[in-house]
Amino acid sequence: MTSSSSGGVFNPAYHDSETLEVDRRDKRSWTHHTNPYAGEDPAWWAERDDAEPGASSGGWRGGESFSMGLFSTSSGTNSWQHDANPHTPDSSSHYRSAAGLPSLMTGGMTMRWRGMAMRGMSMFPNADPTHAALAEDAIRSEVENEEQNLIKELIALSAGEQTRKIQELPQSFGEKKNIRRQVMAFKSSTNSHHFLCCTDCCRNMSLSFRRCGNGIKSARQTLKLWRGIMKEIGGRFGSSVLTYFLFLKWLLMFNIFSFLVNFGFITIPLLVHDLSANIPSNVSFRGLELLTGAGYFNYTVMYYGGYSNETLHGLVDYNMQLAYFFTIAVYMVLCGIVLIFSMASSFKKNYVLSDPASSRAWQLLCSWDFSLTNERAVRQRKNNLRVQLKESLSERAEKESITLSKELKQVGIHVGSWFLSTCLAVGCGASIFYLCQYGEEQAMDTAPWSLLQEAETLLVPFVVSLMNIVIPLFFSLFNKFERYSTHRRQIYALLIRNVLLRMSILGVLCYHWMNVVPQKYSCWEPMVGQALYRLVIIDFLFLMLGSFFGEFLSNVIGTKLQPRLGVPEFDVARNVLELVYAQTLAWIGIYFSPLLPAIQMLKFFILFYIKKVSLTRNCQPPRRSGRAAQMQTIFIFLLFFPFFVGALSIVAYTAWSLTPSEQCGPFQGLNNTFSVVSIWIHDLEAIPTSDWVVWIYQNVIRSELFYFLLTLIIIAIIYIFWQLTQGRKELINLLRQRIINVSLF
Amino acid sequence: MGNKQTIFTDEQLDAYQDCTFFTRKEILRLHGRYHELAPHLVPMDYTNEPECKIPLALIVDMPELKENPFRNRIVESFSEDGAGNLSFNEFVDMFSVLSETAPRELKAIYAFKIYDFNVDNYLCKEDLEKTLNKLTKEELTSEEVELVCEKTIDEADLDGDNKLSYSDFENMITRAPDFLSTFHIRI
Repeated sequence: MTSSSSGGVFNPAYHDSETLEVDRRDKRSWTHHTNPYAGEDPAWWAERDDAEPGASSGGWRGGESFSMGLFSTSSGTNSWQHDANPHTPDSSSHYRSAAGLPSLMTGGMTMRWRGMAMRGMSMFPNADPTHAALAEDAIRSEVENEEQNLIKELIALSAGEQTRKIQELPQSFGEKKNIRRQVMAFKSSTNSHHFLCCTDCCRNMSLSFRRCGNGIKSARQTLKLWRGIMKEIGGRFGSSVLTYFLFLKWLLMFNIFSFLVNFGFITIPLLVHDLSANIPSNVSFRGLELLTGAGYFNYTVMYYGGYSNETLHGLVDYNMQLAYFFTIAVYMVLCGIVLIFSMASSFKKNYVLSDPASSRAWQLLCSWDFSLTNERAVRQRKNNLRVQLKESLSERAEKESITLSKELKQVGIHVGSWFLSTCLAVGCGASIFYLCQYGEEQAMDTAPWSLLQEAETLLVPFVVSLMNIVIPLFFSLFNKFERYSTHRRQIYALLIRNVLLRMSILGVLCYHWMNVVPQKYSCWEPMVGQALYRLVIIDFLFLMLGSFFGEFLSNVIGTKLQPRLGVPEFDVARNVLELVYAQTLAWIGIYFSPLLPAIQMLKFFILFYIKKVSLTRNCQPPRRSGRAAQMQTIFIFLLFFPFFVGALSIVAYTAWSLTPSEQCGPFQGLNNTFSVVSIWIHDLEAIPTSDWVVWIYQNVIRSELFYFLLTLIIIAIIYIFWQLTQGRKELINLLRQRIINVSLF
Repeated sequence: MGNKQTIFTDEQLDAYQDCTFFTRKEILRLHGRYHELAPHLVPMDYTNEPECKIPLALIVDMPELKENPFRNRIVESFSEDGAGNLSFNEFVDMFSVLSETAPRELKAIYAFKIYDFNVDNYLCKEDLEKTLNKLTKEELTSEEVELVCEKTIDEADLDGDNKLSYSDFENMITRAPDFLSTFHIRI
């Protein structure tokens, strides 16, 4: 609980703030030293100390004691408040008068200590030199005292925690180095009392371990793709546009990992074992395969059908069935875990209780993007800020009175738009359904297919991508007519509609693949794999076209034809949704086509450069700043919740319930894919040393009781955490109220 | 670890890695950047910790800082003498706090320092007015400037002393999750 995430407790400035009433009686010395903005000074602390003789010695580590200290502090309030106000006006005036003291300028005291000392001086406006020297000595000794306390605190922590705490100290580098040196010296001296050689080599090991860790971090940095481009984009367009590119890079990593894993564990053993692909003689490579994925590719390792179900005998016995199943399963589970963790950390970092973007204070102090380095972008951002400030100033003057009829009209418009959007989404789904049916009637099971038949298979992906490009335009049109209370709600509404559209299309397609295709074809998994391949490729082509039309044409229209519209902005939400959809296709396709991640990798790689060029040539920086962090949380959540979970359920349903095809693939002849595991466990039963695996399988994985208990435990934990957050929220309100109450005196 | 470099000793690099948020490579790269700012002033060999400071005028000329409206305040906040002359340690410190991995609390402390033009530990009205003028190139009228600053203090001041102390500022920062990504300079 005292990790850096609960920054409040470990933040030294938090404890030193005059406006926050905290139980600081015991630990004032620790925190006093590390806050460069210590509003108090030693002499004043001494005064306060006398006022509270009966201080309770509550520890301050951990949030709970913090609150206890709060409620027990009732006597001290008057004394320190009374001191607070007369103290502060002096400091600014005496800052300059105390500058003449020579002794403070030397002696290696840094600016920050000097600042504190100056404030100390300001308590004695008529200081004569001896008096000043005494005060200065007192301050210096106090400062050293605090440093000692800090070092003692640091020694008590583990090495990793120590490093992190030192990194987070708000002091200059020289001071941090000093503290670190003292901590290390102390540690080594204490160690020398105990078993010398043991701790010596322990220390060397931990040092080399840390060096190794740093080396790995460095190595990972050299692999950092596109660092220069990201910097340029961030410099010209700001952080919110950069989130799209960071998201793209993150998804690319998923695909690279998937490709490496699949290629390494599934494809390479097969290739090593049997280099000759068994392609029938009447099939040759025609150019169309690159688009349709059928034909020649059908018989390669690209799809499920190219893999055999034997145990390969080479250096070791390699069970292809188990390898295929476990590789895909482990990859999906890892993806899920990574997504959950990043969603949770993003949520924790970016969750905000109210929308501050409308407040003036936020606009003034928190909205400036420090990463902007391009002169024109900076100028534009300054203009935007000025316009926003002017707008918000004038907004106060005119407040629109909303009549009942107007409101009813608004509600009517909302309902109408939602109805229309849902109809559009459902309509698209239905039309794809009938199109697929038509396509199935035309297709036949036996190879070879004529060129025309293969080209016909491109119809469905073409229509799907067309819908994905055109229908969102309608949604934006509806959006223009509606009026939302906040900009955020507008973006959410648009996002939900787009998600609905894509989910309905994907849902219909998956239904078709799970129910119709297995009945029709003898070797159905490669068929599904090909369908997905086509979807991915055509989607890529349309993304490029979309970039061309969406950004290039908008730019031309906005600058030459209709200057009123202006240069377009880069629509981050729409583009991120396209990325999420593309990744979902890849996730669904992994089971049916293990090398699909390779195509996806290429696709994202090329897409990055296309989008970058389109952005730099055609778009301007966004007019409304802010909200990038929250949008990022939403994007990761979107990636996880409907899309990844959907893909995982499709793959799980396929593995659990559908019968694998009889004649091709690694699972031929089995009832369902999952039975591979049962067979393996059955084989393991014969081997006495792996009893524990069998036990785990039978009593943990296959037993319903285990899952039931696990669910109960998780629900209980969630409930406890929920209550904790409720309690913390109430505490925040209480504290805020106390601040306001205290300041009223 | 792999390549031999003679700019820093290993202990120095360890100290840099432990006290800042940078890795070894980044520190060497930072040294390269620091050196390019003033090649005649900055030695290539830092093993005996030379005392050398680059003046403010050269540092604010860096492409990362050149267009930033607060460039002078940023450099002054990290300099020991308050006039903006940075030694290499302070240079590294500055970019470390402004890097991606620095935690919010640390960034909030320095952001407060940057906006505090008269270095009195509070964001008073004059500080806010100066901030606003830097952000809008002085194109707002003086009444508008005053109005905005008053509203800002109204909204953020919790203890009612008509200026923003550090805790008021920090309270506002916690409600602005974008702060971590906007208060970030890439080097």
